[in-house]
Parts: sequence; C-alpha cells; structure tokens
Amino acid sequence: MTVDRPDGESPDLVARCQAGDVDAFGELYARHSARIFSLAVRMAGSPETGEDLLQEVFLQAYRKIGGFKGDAAVGTWLYRLALNHCLDFVRSRQARMDKATDAIEDDGWSPALAARRDTPIARMDLERAIAQLPAGCREVFVLHDVEGYEHKEIAAMLGIAEGTSKSQVFKARMKLRALLT
Amino acid sequence: MTTPHPDGVTLNDYADNTLAASARADVDAHVASCGECRLMVEGLREVQAAARGLAPLSPRPEAWRRIEREMRATRVARRPARWTWLAAAAALVLATFMGVKLADRLRRPAADATASREVATAQSVEAELLQAEQHYQNAIAGLEKIANSEKGSLDPQTASTLEKNLTVIDQAISESRAALRSQPSSEPAQASLLESFKSKIALLQNTVALINEMRKGDNAGAASVVSGLKPKGT
Repeated sequence: MTVDRPDGESPDLVARCQAGDVDAFGELYARHSARIFSLAVRMAGSPETGEDLLQEVFLQAYRKIGGFKGDAAVGTWLYRLALNHCLDFVRSRQARMDKATDAIEDDGWSPALAARRDTPIARMDLERAIAQLPAGCREVFVLHDVEGYEHKEIAAMLGIAEGTSKSQVFKARMKLRALLT
Repeated sequence: MTTPHPDGVTLNDYADNTLAASARADVDAHVASCGECRLMVEGLREVQAAARGLAPLSPRPEAWRRIEREMRATRVARRPARWTWLAAAAALVLATFMGVKLADRLRRPAADATASREVATAQSVEAELLQAEQHYQNAIAGLEKIANSEKGSLDPQTASTLEKNLTVIDQAISESRAALRSQPSSEPAQASLLESFKSKIALLQNTVALINEMRKGDNAGAASVVSGLKPKGT
C-alpha cells in the first residue's frame, strides 16, 4: 500500500525524484514552487531575483535530494533549503550593501504618524510596499510578519540581536503604514 | 496625569502581545488614555494581519521551463566521464589477474619444499599479496568513484543495504589484515583477504550495474540486480 505523507507527497514521488526523474521534480515544483517563490520574491524585493532564487533552490534540491532521508515531509525539506538559500542571499547582499537599513532613522516614530486608514490594506498594495522596504528590515519583516518566525529564531538565522530584529519589524511596519497611507 | 508615550518597540511588542506582563499593565493604562498610541497599536496590528494573510505568489510558467532545461542538462553532465569507466575496467582486469595468480600460488602443494625454500616462498607470496592488494584497491577506488558519483539515483532502501554490505565487507578486510599483521605467512588469512577484496569488487560491480539499469529506465533489470543485494551478515 502506498502511504501518503501529510503534505500529499507519496514515497513513490520522492523515490522518482531521487532517481533523477525530472518529470517527478515537475510535480514537486507544481506543489511547492508558489510558497518558495513567495518567500524568495519578498526576501529579495524583486520578482526577477525571486525567480533566480527559485531556480537555484530547485537545482540545488535536484542535486541534494539523494541525501533526503525522509525524516520530515519533502515539502518541509524543500522549504528549509529555500530558506537557507534566501538567507545566504540576504547575508551576501548585506555584506555588499553595508547595511542599507541605516536608511531608516532609528526608532523614528511619533504619534503624528498614527493616522487611521479608511480602507483595508489591499494585498497587491502591500506586496508593492514590501518591495520598497530597505534591504535589511524587509527580510526581518518577511520572516516575522509573513512567515511567522519569532524574533529569537530570526536573530539566530541572521546573526543579529533579538532587539535588532524587534526594532527592524517595528521600523518596517511604520514604513509600510507610511507607504500605504 | 498622562504618562509619556512608550517607545516604538515597546508599542510593537504590545501590539504583538509579547510584552512582559509587568510592562504590559503600564502600556495598557497609557493606551487606554492616549488616542494616538491606540491608533498606532491598531495600525501596527493591521499591517501584521495583512502580512499574515498574504496569498502565495505564482512564478511565471517559463520559470519551470528554465529549471527543467537546467536539470536535464545537469543529468547528462553528472554522468561519470568515459575515462572513469575505462580506468575502473582496466584496474579491475589487473586485480582479477593478480588475484587468480596469487590464489594459484596459495593452492600449490609445498610437500617437496625444503625449509629454506619455504621461507623464500612465503616471502614471495607476501610480496605478491601486497601487489595484488594494490591492484584490488585501485579497482575498488575506480568503482567507488563511479558508484559515489551516482549514488543519488538509488532509492534510500537500496542505498542503505549497499552501505550495510560494504560495512560488513570492510570489517572482514580489517580482520584479515589484522590476522596477517600477527601472522604474515598465514595462508588462510591471505586467502580470506583476497576473498574479501573480491566480495567488495563484486558488490561495487553490482552497484554500478544497478545504476546503469536505473539510468536506462529498465526497472526489471534493476529489480534483478537488487534481488542479488540481500543484506550480508544477517
């Protein structure tokens, strides 16, 4: 009997992927590419770079799936691979850009910024606004508010202090409010 | 009296309900009496809720075509080069020849040998054993190179059986070597070492054959090879 995994992947699909079957990878891609692409686009701030990251993640998965032991669902394994790849991208870009987060002034909120919105935030507007966030606070915001990681986890992933993660999320939310008003 | 506005990060934590209980009471009291901070908290929560509710984005259809093309190109490129196969085959022929030659020497009766000729023969067998061992190691290295480069194409259960068998054979090789170190002229130990090398080569040959069948997409051929890979030492 074929036992399906919680994420719907059958061991057969994993075995075919491990045998290098490109069509099987196509099935894996159909199931998981949207989640990985969303993460990549939002972390990178551009659909073009997001697509490059998506490609790199799947090619990396193709090379590494032989080592997949089945301890977790293959979707979880793939997402972890994608997250690590996006984090590598962020780290190398941060090194190049010398922390562009300085573009946002430190804790620059004032009650005057607290304007009420009359309409709910539209998804597409929010996507565009996220793309406009400065590199640095955008990744922390995406990891915290979109992907649901805790500040402690983000601090460990990005090698920053937990307080820095909190302050970046606050700055990102403030900036987004300003962009969406 | 109105208390000063809490700092932004504190309000942010308050909005996320992650503020420590001790600090929360103060912020609660301030927010209850400060319309601006209340608006700020609402705004922070609104962004957070909208972000959490974002729908997945879909890549363009051509994104997969690009990946697929790369994967198919990688699949061709990662096959071992022809010279790797040729080198392995040449090493295998030499190892087999040396093994047969040595096995023949070990089988030859030494009834007519004098004491001094026995010593000379023992030394010569040891030298040949060393030479044969070197050739076996070369053949093993060549086959391992091919097997390792394509290990990813094996399913985990088969790969695990192969690993277990290799471990058992490596253990036998270690034991034969240990026996030969204490008794270099021991014929049973020499024969056992040769047998272990042959077993390792046979297993690696089967692995390479299995990889070939899977590459050709011949499931029946692959199944036939797998049936010969029963776990050893169990």
